[in-house]
Amino acid sequence: MRYGYNGPMATLASEKDLPQNLWQWFKGSWTDRLILLISLIGIFASWQWIHAYVSSGPPMVMIYHDDQLLARYPIPEAGKPIHFHAEGELGDSEILIDANGARFVSSPCSSGYCIAHGQRKEHGDIIACVPNRILIAIEGDSSDALDAIVE
Amino acid sequence: MTHSIKSIPRPPLAKLEEKSKWLTLLLLAVGLHIFEAALPSLGPWFKPGLANIMTLLALVLIGPRAAFMLAIWRVIVGSFLIGTLFTPTFVISLAGGIASAAVMLLAWRAIPNITLIGISLIGALAHMSVQFITVESLFIHQHALYYLLPPLLLLSAITGWVNGGLAAYIVSRIEESD
Repeated sequence: MRYGYNGPMATLASEKDLPQNLWQWFKGSWTDRLILLISLIGIFASWQWIHAYVSSGPPMVMIYHDDQLLARYPIPEAGKPIHFHAEGELGDSEILIDANGARFVSSPCSSGYCIAHGQRKEHGDIIACVPNRILIAIEGDSSDALDAIVE
Repeated sequence: MTHSIKSIPRPPLAKLEEKSKWLTLLLLAVGLHIFEAALPSLGPWFKPGLANIMTLLALVLIGPRAAFMLAIWRVIVGSFLIGTLFTPTFVISLAGGIASAAVMLLAWRAIPNITLIGISLIGALAHMSVQFITVESLFIHQHALYYLLPPLLLLSAITGWVNGGLAAYIVSRIEESD
């Protein structure tokens, strides 16, 4: 079993060798690099695939509770913001949609991570409140294409 | 019934040493788990995975069974201390931890010439993927969740690689001091 290093630690005592030794620790074996390469190819391919489907059409704010679509709004260019109240497992989550995107304003969850995530408006962005099971997703207008593929 | 001190069997020293190593790693892992929980969130369900370094150390220094148990107990004790035991966060974390440990043990056994870096990388990717699968299957039944998976997998690959390098460095220092 190799642990990912080749040289004795004594060489670390010399400061001028440190950068080279740092590389020794983090370079990995050829097997590691092959695994990384395969992983990166998979990640970027799936990213492209998702982006292609989600980006079709103008951005729409989809609000889900569990597997139910509660509401679907276009991101308004300007004007009056939209306040939507989504009823989840724990109670009422208030969602604000304006020209800057969509965000949770209030939530009955104890962690408050969903509120802390702030506003999102780009295709493919999501904000989830797992305890209250409410999901905000920004999708393209013709997102049904993705449904067809997944199902 | 009374026992004289002489009649109480003493555990072998090697066994005690192994248990003390495991407990030390568990305490360090719990400490890192709590530290990570206190860090500002880099994204939903994303943490740098520093506690996983202890699982890697347990794998190399004690064995696969100890590493697996450490991954489970770290989440249970850590969640208890930060007050998230039996919440969705706990379930997601436990599922990710178990999957990550199982995949790392398999990789360690099955992939020739793999180092701690490769094992950590695979573990980090498995952890992130299983977290999403858990959320989608148990809490929010929406495939839209997966929109966020590729960028988070990319971050996991980076942190997994770095954590593996750190684990390799620590193992070498420990072995040198023995």
